[in-house]
Amino acid sequence: MKILRFLLIILFYFIISIQKTIADEKKMLKGLEIFNETAACAGCHTMKAAGADGNVGPNLDTVDLTIESVIDMVTYGLGVMPAYGEDGILTKEEIEIVSNYVVNSAGK
Amino acid sequence: MKKKERKLNLNRRNFLASTASIAGLAATASVVPISISNANHKDGEKGLPEFISWKDRDALIVHSDKGIETHRSAIGESLITPNRNVYIRNNMPTMTDDQIGDRNNWKVSIEGVKNPKTFTLAQLKKLGHTTMATILQCSGNGRGFFEHKVRGSQWKTGAAACVFWTGVPMKVVVEACGGVNASAVFMTSAGVDHEPTGLDPKKAMVERSVPKVVFKDAMLAWEMNGVPLPNAHGGPLRMVTPGYFGINNVKHLGKVAFTEKESSVKYMKKSYRISPIGKKGSQYPSCWEMPVKSWITRPTDETGTVRAGKVQIVGVAMGGTKKVRSVKVSVDGGKSWKRAKFIGPDLGKYAWRQFAFEANLKSGTYNIASLASNGSKKQPELRMENRRGYAHNGWKDHSVNITVV
Repeated sequence: MKILRFLLIILFYFIISIQKTIADEKKMLKGLEIFNETAACAGCHTMKAAGADGNVGPNLDTVDLTIESVIDMVTYGLGVMPAYGEDGILTKEEIEIVSNYVVNSAGK
Repeated sequence: MKKKERKLNLNRRNFLASTASIAGLAATASVVPISISNANHKDGEKGLPEFISWKDRDALIVHSDKGIETHRSAIGESLITPNRNVYIRNNMPTMTDDQIGDRNNWKVSIEGVKNPKTFTLAQLKKLGHTTMATILQCSGNGRGFFEHKVRGSQWKTGAAACVFWTGVPMKVVVEACGGVNASAVFMTSAGVDHEPTGLDPKKAMVERSVPKVVFKDAMLAWEMNGVPLPNAHGGPLRMVTPGYFGINNVKHLGKVAFTEKESSVKYMKKSYRISPIGKKGSQYPSCWEMPVKSWITRPTDETGTVRAGKVQIVGVAMGGTKKVRSVKVSVDGGKSWKRAKFIGPDLGKYAWRQFAFEANLKSGTYNIASLASNGSKKQPELRMENRRGYAHNGWKDHSVNITVV
């Protein structure tokens, strides 16, 4: 009985894990779509994971990034980079998704 | 469309591979590979981006491929900063040889003058010739000392250099065009490095207006420290606005116009404005004149521990748009100050001066600071807080801590 309960707990966490995997994968794919299409980050930045080779802004594969710094930069822009949040180009959720995507893909 | 699908699939494969390996280790683990890459310095020869692979990697701190700082200890050992050590700060990609074409055929138009003209570089070279040393300094040099979260490269002291420019005085060019229109208020210089990007010029063109009077000391430069102006520093032709922050020294120069109004591009109206934290707008001062400033280049925390006894404390000092008159040095964190000696030649008011101060130090730890004056203004103790971390010249943040053994 104890073994069955243990196995059920393992199964429960495994299912939760799989669900989270699928959700995270969807977010990453959404992030890629925003990066390459919606926000067209790829037009200005290089990031190998996204197949991006833009050279206007910094090469994202060569800079140290934190989720906070990327969200801040995407929201408020800098120089020629648009303020995607301030100017309403992306929603707050989209900014979080693309920023997570960048932080987890840059340099890979 | 094909490319998008390929990249989506490729990324999906990479992503799934990562998640599979993690899931294999622990069923409950989060699937996203969270570690942040510290892939700095890996792109080009010696860890520098390809377009500046000729620079001295050991002298440089790479913030990004568009922002590269000179180490504090790599400044000031000679009065002039060698090209291989000079910092990089580009708003647009450096133009390539192919994009530039025949350098002697590079064109710059002069407008807002009695007889507007377009000159090739070859024609400019026949028009006049001069050499001048000036300080090139990014508006954000010192941003790394600000404590609020400031976007942009976290420069400490190394977004600055003192270089020799060779070119034609702007005054000579203006005379060749019959003089400046009486109604002009600004000299507005525009680069063409945005053109290959295809971006909207209003957002991407580096066009900067400075007060008209600047033209009297300005020059159009085609050489930097005795060699043709490198593309990475704005070759083949660059505006040099002595005493003014780097952004006004427009690279890849295509036009100089004497205008009644400031340029309306983003780099003039919105960017490079010194505004209070939390505020922004074109009503705030633009990054124009550099303030009086100095910093110690040796010894520093980069140069290691110092032996007790006589210690030569050296550094560089600038007066902004005025000649630097004096530098004082403190070895006790600013409690007491003694005058340092200027050393080396005086290359004019727009160049920096090297200074040296001999101190007799016993073993212990010291906070060493320098304080420059241009006769009418001296460095403040503290930074002027501002939104984007511009124009920092406070002596306290620029001081160094050293250990004497």
